[in-house]
Amino acid sequence: MKLPTNIITLLVSLISFTAFADIAVIINPSNNSDLSKSDISKIFLGKSKTFTNGESVKAINLKSSSAVRDSFQQQVLGKSKSQVKAYWSKLIFTGKGKPLKELSSEEDVISFIASNPNAIGYVDRSKVNDSVKVVN
Amino acid sequence: MKKKLAFTSLMAALIALPSQAEITFNGFASIVAGTTTSSNDNLYGYDDTIDFKEGSIFALQASSDLGEGLGVTIQLASKGADDWDPEFKWAFLSYDATDELRILAGRQRAPFYMYSDFLDVSYAYPWISPPKGVYDLVFDTYDGLSAIYSTSFGEVDASFHGIYGRITDEFTGFGDTITPDVSDLTGLATTFTYDWLTLRASYFIADTTMPFSDLEGLAQGWSQAGFEDVANNTTISEDSSSFLELGFQINYDAIIVVGEYTNLEIDNSPLAEEESYYVMAGYQFDSVLVHITYGVDENTSDIYTSDIPYGLHPDIDFLKGTTEGFLMGQETEEEYVTVGVRYDFHDSAAIKLEYTDFSNKLNNNNDAGLLRAALVTVF
Repeated sequence: MKLPTNIITLLVSLISFTAFADIAVIINPSNNSDLSKSDISKIFLGKSKTFTNGESVKAINLKSSSAVRDSFQQQVLGKSKSQVKAYWSKLIFTGKGKPLKELSSEEDVISFIASNPNAIGYVDRSKVNDSVKVVN
Repeated sequence: MKKKLAFTSLMAALIALPSQAEITFNGFASIVAGTTTSSNDNLYGYDDTIDFKEGSIFALQASSDLGEGLGVTIQLASKGADDWDPEFKWAFLSYDATDELRILAGRQRAPFYMYSDFLDVSYAYPWISPPKGVYDLVFDTYDGLSAIYSTSFGEVDASFHGIYGRITDEFTGFGDTITPDVSDLTGLATTFTYDWLTLRASYFIADTTMPFSDLEGLAQGWSQAGFEDVANNTTISEDSSSFLELGFQINYDAIIVVGEYTNLEIDNSPLAEEESYYVMAGYQFDSVLVHITYGVDENTSDIYTSDIPYGLHPDIDFLKGTTEGFLMGQETEEEYVTVGVRYDFHDSAAIKLEYTDFSNKLNNNNDAGLLRAALVTVF
């Protein structure tokens, strides 16, 4: 028996996304970019600066004290808090990168993304509303 | 009351002003305490008295985005080892020509080693400082141009960092403070990263001039005695030099393994050829990293006066004796083992403890044990 390709694709994407089911990666509803887990990871590690549609990315972090940020970094970036911090210090102190914009609450992240077409962020899945689009 | 109003409007104006040229400040610091474990030992600037200055550093960086891909970055670092004299380690204009190509002009770190770019940012790596046996070039910063091209080939991230410039920063060597001239410094550092594996190679060439007065005096003696070739070998004047680095890094789950090999050669000079390497292995237990490093450092001199026999003339005997003493004095065969822990006790700070057991195979009077503790932070 052969599984149809679309079912295989679906299964593969389920496997790669179950790992961060409680975190919703969100973009502006007008943004029609396709984003894989590795695209998201590259954006939040400062490696890629544009969406697949060519628009420049504005990635939004939660404050470093946030537990949601911890899970996002652990699950999507595969790095602990101090590993992420060490990674960014390499970029910052060589002038290669600037720290991402930080907002203090998930509500702030949602309203920022709702009003900025090229923004991307993450919140707890339970906080998501219609003003933003979930990509995972 | 009026004063307060003026102050408020000034503050308001200041807050409103920077929207055009926003300046970001970041900093890092290491406070390092160290002591050798027995009374006659000296290592990396430490002796048997507990010292807090030798390895400590504070640095502040200011950067500003000027728009259209143009930016300015300045990093001022103050080291205890330099009596806290502040020094610009980075001061450059950057231009992001594309997402992949970045051009830097000004003062910057030469990418000699894997950890060169963030050499003093102890928070960014496991040790208190990278192994001194390998990280022992007297220079780390140059003035000039560089281009960094970052791209990916499928799953492999690649970076090519080409540089051109010159180094004329004063330094002290063989008890003499000199202004060197490392000119036409040209090189390329390439890094490939695939998931858990990083491979790196860099190669640099330059013309090196180092006017040490003792060597100049010796060279003059050889020249007067009619040995022009020996005189040329004894001075360090526009000598072609090369530096090679090969490195790898494995970050697999909780396991980290890093290794680097370097080779430095300054042709037609009395300076020894240096060959060094280290291998480090570490394991991350939650917020504690335990690591062990083994390293070797070998300096070999070419005894270019060995063809000249003793007994030709007392003056030549003296020149030969002094020159060979200098050449042989640089030869070393050193080995060290460092064991350490890093504890990330805070979001932006870590505590590190290290013990280094150092042995010099050619002269065991130089064997030493060194204990260091550090508090490192980024802010």
